[in-house]
Amino acid sequence: MSAEKLLRGATARGTLLANRPLLARRLRRTTLHLVLVAVSLAMVVPFLWMVITSLKTDPDLASYPPNLLPQVWDWSNYSEALEYAPFGTYFRNSLLIALGHTALNLALASMAGYALARVAFRGRTVVFMGVLATMMIPTYTKIVPQYLIAKGIPFFGGNDYLGRGGHGWLDSWWGLIVPGALTPFAIFLFRQFYLSLPRELEEAARIDGMGEFGIYARVMTPLVKPAIATVALLTFESSWNNFLWPLIITSDTDLRVIQVGLSAFQQADQNAWAYLMAGTTLATVPMVVLFLFTQRYFVQGFANSGIK
Amino acid sequence: MPTFTSSAADTSRDGPVVHRSTKRAAPSRSGRPPRAKKFGHDRRRAAVLMLAPSVIHLVWWIGIPVVATFALAFTDYDILAGTVTFNGLDNFQEIFNDETWNASIWHTVVFTFFTVPVAMAIAVVLAILLSVKMRAAAWYRTAVFMPHVTATVAIALVWMWMFEPRLGVVNTMLGWAGIDGPTWLADPDWALTAVIIVSIWKGIGIKMLIYLAALQAMPEDVYEAARIDGASQIRQFFSITLPLLKPATFFVLVVSIIDSFQAFDQLYVLTPDGGPGNSTTVMTYEIYRTAFKEFNMGAACAQSVVLFAFLLVLMLISRRLTGKEDDVR
Repeated sequence: MSAEKLLRGATARGTLLANRPLLARRLRRTTLHLVLVAVSLAMVVPFLWMVITSLKTDPDLASYPPNLLPQVWDWSNYSEALEYAPFGTYFRNSLLIALGHTALNLALASMAGYALARVAFRGRTVVFMGVLATMMIPTYTKIVPQYLIAKGIPFFGGNDYLGRGGHGWLDSWWGLIVPGALTPFAIFLFRQFYLSLPRELEEAARIDGMGEFGIYARVMTPLVKPAIATVALLTFESSWNNFLWPLIITSDTDLRVIQVGLSAFQQADQNAWAYLMAGTTLATVPMVVLFLFTQRYFVQGFANSGIK
Repeated sequence: MPTFTSSAADTSRDGPVVHRSTKRAAPSRSGRPPRAKKFGHDRRRAAVLMLAPSVIHLVWWIGIPVVATFALAFTDYDILAGTVTFNGLDNFQEIFNDETWNASIWHTVVFTFFTVPVAMAIAVVLAILLSVKMRAAAWYRTAVFMPHVTATVAIALVWMWMFEPRLGVVNTMLGWAGIDGPTWLADPDWALTAVIIVSIWKGIGIKMLIYLAALQAMPEDVYEAARIDGASQIRQFFSITLPLLKPATFFVLVVSIIDSFQAFDQLYVLTPDGGPGNSTTVMTYEIYRTAFKEFNMGAACAQSVVLFAFLLVLMLISRRLTGKEDDVR
């Protein structure tokens, strides 16, 4: 809004503006678009280059100066890349983990958010403060013990009852899914949404004899769909893009997620650029598509959360 | 098959049904006045049950690890035997005697010092340009925000290819301008610069978004008053827009610095093993290396504590600054 006035040469709404020459206004408008197009290109070109590279043949890739477009559009790179490295498995693993995280986070965080928002009980403030505190803990202040805890889960991966002797949840679906299945931010967001709902709704349901869980599941939760969408998208995004945790707890190739798989592929095979870019395209396209279709919720969510 | 689905549907409804029946039973057992009390009791019990999984999860995976980081920093943790022995400040002595760690602190600071302000400056300009009413604004915004939603690892790999010394796009374009580009990621003098460029590129989107939200929340009436008082557009920008963007700026600054201190993915991918001659190793990478390559958990926790101390100081400074801002208003 303010900037509209700042650059209002473009809007022609202000009265002061009416007598400004049309040409000057056009010029301003054009400059504005030129700048924005340039910046947008700078943001998008790496993605385009990724796709273009993934479609080039080897001699094409080695030619100098590089060709802007592939001489032959070599779509077989994708099927070859999938044979050359288990990108298919990586992709499936990432998808399963991201979906698992999303479902669990939605269920757990919405219940917790509801309880914190709608039910008065002793210690509620303390619990809420605790949730806020966990939101502010940096990753690197917990990552080492998290690894040790995952390694020391009793009775798993050859561990005894004290969690010794085996590898616990390392290299397992448990370790990939459980620790990241809940984010305090999701609890916080759900609480804020549940708080905003009118009290009459739950009272009516209660008079009808509905239990607390029923009120949560059937009356209140259908009314916080924007929160559900935001939490689902943000969880899916951060899970799909997560790198550090799967990197440190998996060594088994079959359990690698796509980000770890890509990085390992690059380090093993430094010059297979076409295959690497094919794999990278597979890793980015789901998020790009998801983002294009659900921008509104993403934007709301990120604006709420600040960063991640 | 049909019987199975119907039974599944029944169990899914079981939860509420059980609650309802206990509630209906309540008045017959205890009469009218205690009913309300019973109600509250049931509600609290339901709330506790709904909270329990989350609280257990947060305590187990965040609460305990945080405390453990600080405790383990003063111990020697033998990962094979699983034994812990107190060793006082030995870990801190050890890490600060390590030149690579000390260099990593410096690299973290340099990385943040260049990444954050440049990305913020570009972001605020873009946000102001994009808040002009125009049809294409949504497209531009999408393009600028795209790097933020895509995986850092994938993006870093693309940039790695673009920074390829001979065939990469970056050096080809520099070649057009007659500049003989460096080998970037392989060159100790340029590797960190390359990582900073990628991080700026990736960081603009989210900062722009926060600025955009702040701009959209600006009070219309203040501008109207200024216009009636005859303030020029430029005057309005410097006297209204910029001061009103201050809280957003502080917010972006704090969050970005904290984020930047914890950058890892792009550094790990673009410059593996700390980069050429350890020229791009940062605190997070050293923690990773100490903990998960050398399995020296005690020292890694000590490093984590140092990183935490940095973040805490930054947070306190910024809180004081933003707090003062609030007082003024």
